[in-house]
Amino acid sequence: MTATLEVTDLRKQFAIGRPAIDGVSFGVPAGEIVVLLGPSGCGKTTTLRCVAGLEHPTSGEISIAGKVVSSPERGILVPPRLRDLGMVFQSYAVWPHMTVRQNVVYPLKHRKLSRADARRKVDEALELVGLSEYAERPVVALSGGQMQRVALARSIVYRPQLLLLDEPLSNLDAKLRLRLRDDLRVILKQTGMTALYVTHDQAEAVVLGDRIGVMRDGRLLQMDTPDAIYNRPADLFVANFTGATNELAGTLVSRNGQFGTVDFGEGRRGEVALLHPLGPDEKVRIALRPENITIGPHNGANIFSARVLDRRYQGTQTAYGIELFGRRLEVVELGTAARHQVGVETQVSLPKECCWAYRDTGPTAYE
Amino acid sequence: MDGLASRRGEVMLSASGGGRGRVGASLWVSLLLAILGFLVIYPILMLLLGALTDTNPVVDGIQLSHLSVTNFLTVLANPNVAEALFNTLIACGGGTLIAVVVGLLFSWIVVRTNTPFKGFIAAASILPLFAPPLVAGVAWAILGSPKTGLINTMFKWVGLDWRVDFYSMWGLVFVFGIYYAPYVYMFTSSALRNMDPSLEEAAEISGASAFATLFTVTFPLIMPAIVSGMLLSFIVMLGIYGIPAVLGAPTNLAVLTTYIFKLTNWSPPLYNTAAAVAIILMVVTGLLVFLQHKVLSGRSYTTVAGKAFRPRSLDLGRWRWFTFGLGIVYLLVVVVLPLLALIVAAFRKFMFIRDISSLFDARQYSLVHFHSIFDNPLTMRSIYNSVEVGIITAVVGGALAFAIGYTIHRTQVMGRRWIDVISTLPVAIPGLVVGVAYLWAWIGIPGGLYGTIWILALAFIARFMPDTVKSLSTSFLQIHRELEEAAWVCGKGVLGTIRTIVLPLARPGVMASMTLLFVLAIRELGSSLFLYTSNTMVMSVLLLDYYEGGNLGKTAAFSLVQTVLLGVLIGGANYLSRGAAQGSVARTG
Repeated sequence: MTATLEVTDLRKQFAIGRPAIDGVSFGVPAGEIVVLLGPSGCGKTTTLRCVAGLEHPTSGEISIAGKVVSSPERGILVPPRLRDLGMVFQSYAVWPHMTVRQNVVYPLKHRKLSRADARRKVDEALELVGLSEYAERPVVALSGGQMQRVALARSIVYRPQLLLLDEPLSNLDAKLRLRLRDDLRVILKQTGMTALYVTHDQAEAVVLGDRIGVMRDGRLLQMDTPDAIYNRPADLFVANFTGATNELAGTLVSRNGQFGTVDFGEGRRGEVALLHPLGPDEKVRIALRPENITIGPHNGANIFSARVLDRRYQGTQTAYGIELFGRRLEVVELGTAARHQVGVETQVSLPKECCWAYRDTGPTAYE
Repeated sequence: MDGLASRRGEVMLSASGGGRGRVGASLWVSLLLAILGFLVIYPILMLLLGALTDTNPVVDGIQLSHLSVTNFLTVLANPNVAEALFNTLIACGGGTLIAVVVGLLFSWIVVRTNTPFKGFIAAASILPLFAPPLVAGVAWAILGSPKTGLINTMFKWVGLDWRVDFYSMWGLVFVFGIYYAPYVYMFTSSALRNMDPSLEEAAEISGASAFATLFTVTFPLIMPAIVSGMLLSFIVMLGIYGIPAVLGAPTNLAVLTTYIFKLTNWSPPLYNTAAAVAIILMVVTGLLVFLQHKVLSGRSYTTVAGKAFRPRSLDLGRWRWFTFGLGIVYLLVVVVLPLLALIVAAFRKFMFIRDISSLFDARQYSLVHFHSIFDNPLTMRSIYNSVEVGIITAVVGGALAFAIGYTIHRTQVMGRRWIDVISTLPVAIPGLVVGVAYLWAWIGIPGGLYGTIWILALAFIARFMPDTVKSLSTSFLQIHRELEEAAWVCGKGVLGTIRTIVLPLARPGVMASMTLLFVLAIRELGSSLFLYTSNTMVMSVLLLDYYEGGNLGKTAAFSLVQTVLLGVLIGGANYLSRGAAQGSVARTG
């Protein structure tokens, strides 16, 4: 009932422009939720639509439960309705001319099922998404969040072997998005379905995904557990996209296992974690989270002198702009009190395990 | 919003000089209402009066005595009226059915499939809108008459034992259906284009086949568009005179429009009965128009999510050549065949064609019919009259529509709602009824408008008022309000601002609307029928005369003359309106 998904060297070239998907490969084991994360235009939705069969890939292979459903080289293209998938769309795509029950029962009508069985399954699905009392209402009388629950019920009512979700929460308001996000993971895990989820929201990706694949310009940069994505990003882009927005540049002086010493210029040296295989004298760039920088006197390594440029009080936290090695860095300090004055020369400490060094491959444009 | 609106109203008034402006504004509104009353309300009231009396307006003048509903009730009880009403409903109902099937099919082909040359099919799908109904009727009479019809002749050559007879209810339904399919097409194709494609994708993912998706999701979703296109085509068919006049006459198949005309041609003319039947036609039309507005203003299912949809196109595989073929067949049936029939009939000395070689025998062809129609002094006079009526209608109607549109949309004067309502009223009145109403309004007043070119022009202005106001309004609604307000701030008065700012900017759109009005006036038949005299003969009526005279060659020749003239005019209007589109692009961006 729940199946594996295997995507191999997928490519999609539209009539004009660079490829929308440029050689993406990944696998989803049965029962796992994989989230494709990336900025808009990175190819994540196109990948999902290729898996659904709504978009036809240029090359590569897609197989579901070991059965090849799409392989242009071999002339295989199974139409969407025969792939036994469920899909939740960004725009809900609930049919406004039907009631909640009519929407949810629709997929069952195209499967051999007795009327009583169909009714029971619809009730189960509505129960699961918490809409039992709304079954007979016209969908247009529901709120956005409820419509999305109808769409979810419709896509899981027939227990498809694979569930695809295309930014299902992005049309909802912020508060509802948080609640439905948590509910969604519970529901998905209850059904035990394999799911492929597409979003541009990192918070959503972290909460929902068993694994996260970060995409950019049609390529899959890293696919790993949320923990690994956040603590060992594969490159500068992933680091930046997942929140390590500060950047320093320097030259590697020596290495010592997983760590190394970097010269930031004018003889200032510091310890960093090496996330790429790097050798001495290589130019490196260092990514650093704003919340991992500590302002104020501190013991240990990587203590530097910096100046506070500005301060933005945000209630439960305070954001500072500081100048370090001639660059501007962002710092976030938790707490409801703002402790540092603008213009003050002070010490900052950068924990070495939070300074991720990558090979310097020239300037990178983010977003 | 309201506050802003009323403040603008004040600006508007103070721009024309405070208290003086207020008086001016109410004078202006009274003037417009008086004109509209004269053009629309007075003829309708007279029509009502006519239906409720039994006096002859020509002999007795207009009298308010003898007012009773007996005349009306007699008409209702008349079996001929019932038969005409029944025929009308069958013809329009059947025609609408065909129109819906054809229109829906082509909108699906054009918007949702990968059929080759879609742009070409889209253009072909709206082409019949430009064909004058009478010319279409004449062409199909030449093609489909039971004895000499070209289709039957061709069947005979090929040795087939088939016969078609277009002088019948079936012929009427068929010709109605194919010529009014564009109304359904226009509504449904835009609804399909605006539909969120993920609604259909969701059905496909759910396991529905393309066919099941079409009937369980796509068509139910665009149902409001289908219904309103359907109602509109029905409404238009109700008011058409030319097609049933040509195809129904040989077998005495009467619909309401042809029956009304027959009544006024009786001797003595039954003007009262005609008025009563006209009112029946108007009531039916009015109900349908009301229904259509209800459907249109009801909740639309078409979801506009604010993002641009990539149009979903279904890969038909080899079947796409079949759908392309359907497009070609449609073009053949509505344009190519009728045009060829007209050409053959117009240039051939005798309509009898023995065999294929005779069809291509150059000796059989000559300009004799053209010589004969242009030898008739009435022909040139009718062309001259049509152009004159067209110009009067375009200039006066255009100016009036501009004044009305501007007053409704850009001012806050009291009473502009009334202006809006009265100027929209003719939407629900078929052209033929306008004709009967004007007849009643003026025939009993000696030395009045009856018998002049002006009665035709005024009837046309009233009849096309709603469309003209609408199309003219879009041309100046594109001009940003602030451009006008800037001129007011600079010290220009309202009229000065219109003259120096609004008109120059809206000129391409205004020109296009006026040209369209000119074209509509030239091809109008229904209302002209009751209002022409031998001095004010117009082209469309003369064409009908030629047809009823029984000479198909002359009829076809004159049809061609009209078609060419209209083609040139519509091409010109199209050219002008493209200029308008460019102008509006330039203004907004």
